[in-house]
Amino acid sequence: MSAQQIPNLLTLRGGPRFRGGRGRGRGPGGHNTGNPELQARFQKDRDIQSTDTDAAVSRLSAVDLGYLDDPFASYFVSGPSTRRLPIINRGTYTRTTALDILIHTFLSDHNASTSSQQTKQIISLGAGTDTRYFRLRAQNKHHNLIYHEFDFPSVSLTKERIAKNTRLLRESEDETFFGASETIPSISGLNAGWGIERSKDGVLETTYCFHPLDLRQLPTTQNPIRGLRTDLPTLIISECCLCYLEVEKSKDVVQWFTGRIPSIGLVLYEPIGVHDSFGQMMVSNLAARNITMPSLELYKTIPDQKSRLAEFGFTTADGGQAAETVEDIWEKWIPTDEKERVDALEGLDEVEEWQMLARHYTIAWGWRGTTGWENLKTLQA
Amino acid sequence: MSDLDKAIAQLRACRPIPEAQVRELCHKARELLIEEGNVVTVTAPVTICGDIHGQFHDLMELFRVGGDVPDTNYLFMGDFVDRGFYSLESFLLLLCLKVRYPDRMTLIRGNHESRQITTVYGFYDECLRKYGSANVWRYCCEVFDYLALGAIVLGASNTLEPSSVDSDQEGSFRSTQEYIDADTEIEVLNSSGGFVSRVARQKPKVFTTKGSSPAKTGPPGTGASSFSKGTAGNSTGAVLCVHGGLSPLIDTVDKIRLLDRKQEVPHEGAMCDLLWSDPDEIDGWGLSPRGAGFLFGSDIVKTFNHTNDLSLIARAHQLVMEGFKEMFDNSIVTVWSAPNYCYRCGNVAAIMELNEDGSGDGMIPRSNGEVNRSDGGIVKEKEKVLLNGPARRYRVFQAAPQDSRGMPAKKPVADYFL
Repeated sequence: MSAQQIPNLLTLRGGPRFRGGRGRGRGPGGHNTGNPELQARFQKDRDIQSTDTDAAVSRLSAVDLGYLDDPFASYFVSGPSTRRLPIINRGTYTRTTALDILIHTFLSDHNASTSSQQTKQIISLGAGTDTRYFRLRAQNKHHNLIYHEFDFPSVSLTKERIAKNTRLLRESEDETFFGASETIPSISGLNAGWGIERSKDGVLETTYCFHPLDLRQLPTTQNPIRGLRTDLPTLIISECCLCYLEVEKSKDVVQWFTGRIPSIGLVLYEPIGVHDSFGQMMVSNLAARNITMPSLELYKTIPDQKSRLAEFGFTTADGGQAAETVEDIWEKWIPTDEKERVDALEGLDEVEEWQMLARHYTIAWGWRGTTGWENLKTLQA
Repeated sequence: MSDLDKAIAQLRACRPIPEAQVRELCHKARELLIEEGNVVTVTAPVTICGDIHGQFHDLMELFRVGGDVPDTNYLFMGDFVDRGFYSLESFLLLLCLKVRYPDRMTLIRGNHESRQITTVYGFYDECLRKYGSANVWRYCCEVFDYLALGAIVLGASNTLEPSSVDSDQEGSFRSTQEYIDADTEIEVLNSSGGFVSRVARQKPKVFTTKGSSPAKTGPPGTGASSFSKGTAGNSTGAVLCVHGGLSPLIDTVDKIRLLDRKQEVPHEGAMCDLLWSDPDEIDGWGLSPRGAGFLFGSDIVKTFNHTNDLSLIARAHQLVMEGFKEMFDNSIVTVWSAPNYCYRCGNVAAIMELNEDGSGDGMIPRSNGEVNRSDGGIVKEKEKVLLNGPARRYRVFQAAPQDSRGMPAKKPVADYFL
């Protein structure tokens, strides 16, 4: 085995190799403010943004080793790929697969016999460089779908550039790409997005839009959210996003949507279990990277997460809710032959460590409304 | 100061030694190890340690808590390398100590002492990064192939002696150690020698087997009172130390002695099982979720211990949050010596001390499992007595404080799903 073939697990782990902040100065507030308190806050925002790099590198590692199939993963990591440890790869695989299952269940039509399929909407909070929409397009699952992504303006710039330069959003005949810079120059405060428009029966509709917006500003923003529909069954996805916000802010964000859209659901993926020694070490390790997750202290267990969902009106009375640990998702949702395939990719020696790590993450989901949620209801937790 | 002592001093400071010196060290180590059997015989007193995984500063903490070499006689049950950031310094230091004090340091092989595993879990990369070539990794892997597969500890006492870590200080027994009840079987101390808990010796335990086939025995019986072997207090069997556990292909310790160990760890077979298997709450044997080795139940351990006149199996291999975990009526213990494993798990670590039987009327050490067999080779009775375990003292310790590390400018970064 030559030296180049073996990745360096240690020096590269976690390093921000792909800076979402190539537009660093364009982060909220810029870098010239003299106020140290503000500076610290912007630094914190940048540290949170760096978690997207972490996720992108982990995704590519899982793809390179054959855990996941994602031809778009490599576009969002600069330089050679980094091989993550087997437990991290398995976790990336399980989390991605679980969200895939939930989203495909939501998108699949309950009543396949009817000729016109129900259009649905997805809102991805803190989407970062997530490739999910590109993958849905590649699978031809985007025709009856409106897809929104929200993240910081600096993330938006990078993602737009890559999407444009690599033609990830290949337009079809009835589609046109619209750029953020074309419509409105980078004036902060205006949530000019970029994305895809489609002409349907002579009417233009936005089918994909990335909104460069600090989510904390969403509840007070005066600007319209381009293309947001309130009449469609809508699923909000928070893949490690809301956990970074102050608890009240994160509630405000969700309620901003639930107050406007009657038929709505939420999928949460985030850490839990800070009350034990593993969880406390997690908090202190993340704090060393200047990352804090305020919601962790409030939602320590799966029942905590369920009552959080109930607070948003996602109860069994009016809709439904469920939650699982990532460990249980791996055990229960991944079919035996697929588990064998994944196990054979690297072998996983650290069984106890995997169980402990995977037990400290949950996927929780809930919804309210009647139409559009039939399939999700049948999905067994 | 000899070159070896210089190397030890340098490694203790967590500085790697030159490649040429590594080569020489590994050569000497192999000459030593080749003379050792697959199962090394070690005489108590001995301090038994589990996985280290390159957590150098925590290894230093272990020596602080357990006493320094050669004052303390150590037995490390493998997994010196991978995962932590200082596999190289940790393993080379242990190897130097082995060469310098061969009778005070026993190293047996863990499943991470393998070419294949080290390329995935970090040791290979670390060597490459620190030396710019894979030579040192190659020298170390050659040593791995010569490491023993297990050890038998003989002459362990039934009673605990007061402990003294600071052996250079005359009569510096810890205050909590002034009085030890002769009935104490298990004592747990914290890293500064403070008392945590104590368990008194119970009556010898009896277990029943359903049939003659060792692979299909029932759960352990309890409460039966007839036992014919020895008396409580002076017959402790030997302790088998192995990294992982038992193998369905191995029913006597002597079968381990017959293996050809000088090779890369195979993907299956007895040698693989010894390094990969885990005890589990099952009957008989089960498939391991690790994809190598097996799971084995209480019946397997008790039958094996009985057949081989063992009172205890000590093994490592599995992370236990409390540092050590005894299972199956105290017939097997997992010892884990990497605190806050991977800088992430938040666990404590432990080492296990076995005292020397100084009374003179304790068990007679035997050279192997053939002598002194209790049942004459024919298993008729369905009730068997478990041998008394040796008195054992666990010292539980935490990760070395961050400021003692000095070295890494950057705090170790643990991976999470973000």
